[in-house]
Amino acid sequence: MAIEIATVSGAPPVGNLRQEPDAGGRHRRKLDPLALVVLLMVALGAVALGSLATGAVSISPRTILAAMLGRHPLTGTERVILFHVRLPRVLASGLVGSGLALAGLLFQGLFRNPIADPYVIGSSGGAVFGACIGIFFFSQWSIFGFSATALLAFAGSAATMALVYALARSAGKTNVVTLLLAGFAISTMFTNTSYFFELFDKTGASNRILISWLHGIIGIPAWTNLGVSAFLIAFATVASLPLMRTLNTLALGDEYAQQLGIRVESARVWIILMGSLLTAVAVSLGGMISFAGLIVPHVARLLLGPDHVRLLPVTALAGAIFIMLADTLARTVFAPSEVPVGILMAFIGGPFFLYLLRKMKRSYTV
Amino acid sequence: MTCLLRVNGVHFGYQGNSVLRQATFDLEEGSCSALIGTNGVGKTTLLRIAAGVLRPASGSVSLRGRPMETIHLKEIARTIALVPQQLELPFEFTVQQVVEQGRTPYIGMLRGPGRSDRMAVDRALDLADISSLRHRIFNELSGGERQRVKIALGLAQQPSLLLLDEPTQNLDIGRQVELIDLLHFLQAEGITILASMHDLHLVDKNFSSVLLLSPGQPLASGSPEQMLKPSILERAFQCPPDRHPLLIGRAELYRREAL
Repeated sequence: MAIEIATVSGAPPVGNLRQEPDAGGRHRRKLDPLALVVLLMVALGAVALGSLATGAVSISPRTILAAMLGRHPLTGTERVILFHVRLPRVLASGLVGSGLALAGLLFQGLFRNPIADPYVIGSSGGAVFGACIGIFFFSQWSIFGFSATALLAFAGSAATMALVYALARSAGKTNVVTLLLAGFAISTMFTNTSYFFELFDKTGASNRILISWLHGIIGIPAWTNLGVSAFLIAFATVASLPLMRTLNTLALGDEYAQQLGIRVESARVWIILMGSLLTAVAVSLGGMISFAGLIVPHVARLLLGPDHVRLLPVTALAGAIFIMLADTLARTVFAPSEVPVGILMAFIGGPFFLYLLRKMKRSYTV
Repeated sequence: MTCLLRVNGVHFGYQGNSVLRQATFDLEEGSCSALIGTNGVGKTTLLRIAAGVLRPASGSVSLRGRPMETIHLKEIARTIALVPQQLELPFEFTVQQVVEQGRTPYIGMLRGPGRSDRMAVDRALDLADISSLRHRIFNELSGGERQRVKIALGLAQQPSLLLLDEPTQNLDIGRQVELIDLLHFLQAEGITILASMHDLHLVDKNFSSVLLLSPGQPLASGSPEQMLKPSILERAFQCPPDRHPLLIGRAELYRREAL
């Protein structure tokens, strides 16, 4: 007989007994998620506008806004710079940031570990490896409108994740050391194997694409490519929504989650597939960009707490802002030279990763 | 009384090592049973099998007459709650967020928690006496407080059967008494209880039946008076009768009753 707790009569037996002192304990006081989402949307617009305005040829934000409202016609040069160079790149950087940050959120929840990130655990390396096979051997192939390169990037990312997951899991728990070592080994193996493909490149064209991917350079994608990428990121984000509550339950451990009615194995498969899809799209636009998937979910968690339902929109927006800013810096700080955003992120993310490792040693029980 | 859970001839082993052999018992609706036995004898394994988390190698488990493997996971989760010994969280979840997970079997994938879910969580927090801790971070609680959070999580499932794996661990004697009172209260509300217990002093007057797991022996069951006899405990726990105060005390009790 299931009891309806809401209608149960009678006082609980312990209510009048000693109440443990509550003073001194740390209470969670976090930001209002809706207010934060609105704030981040405004910030995203402002950063995108700033990024569009910044470059070798400066176009003021006021001019861009006036042009958008049809009050100020742009010159031919300004039009080319804005719509054929900067806008696709700014949008691409936003998609890369959202994709990597959401993939990081999914993988951190799946592994129950705040250091899981598509780059650290080898998912990005797997995507680059898969994409390399596509570029060098199947560059003319496509299935249902998706290029073989993109499909193989997804397959490489998903297969790597499944392999790392299988290696790191033991008796229902994720071993942090095995996770890091397996991710490092597979990532290194795939990255270096990708260099091996240079031998097959007669013209050097494929090689240039490969180098830009390995360094993490967000190029200027074609509008069709950008449209497909935006669709895939949006699809993976919406498909991840129902997984967020599952991730909260999975935080209790696989067995607890199963006991609460979650089909753990199928949930894992969906999380790996969505995380791999997000990684593959981000890699196909910007190559290997490290640590974005590590930093953004972590900061979002500090602001909002660990509830994945609340974290999803904030992580997506914050990821877009973060990589948009980083890419703007990457193309302007040493202008006219350009620093690959992947290298810039390594400078920012490396120390942050070490800080997290140290913090985990102190406070996380994994 | 009707049978809520029937475990029949269950066998289970880990990597070839047999842990449970031919375990058979029934749990009647509304009963309050203790599961006792030595360390490593398979108490936790038996609870996990009863909760449907583990599948037995042979034998059967049925819930209200239906084979467990034919029942949807969410339906099982709405009927049986297992409170495990350990709960470790990787992130800084608050007590309330942890207890809310107990509503998982009631909440659809796209629907958030409703009014009935919030009421069930509040009630579970009240019953476990942790309402004042609801905004505290779980990982920063003491062992005893965590124990009560786990029980609240189980209660939030609004189960018919509550399985508890050593619920008195980490509790001081005052909190142990509170827990026993809570179990009595829940039993009075119609919830069936099966708890693995190490402290046999608490088993004696507080449970209606005792299941005893002994190494290499079939599971034995009976009333506390039948199962807590010094001769049975001495054999089951391989403990000399003159070395443990419990056995000395019970031997004295039985002598007095015989007189």
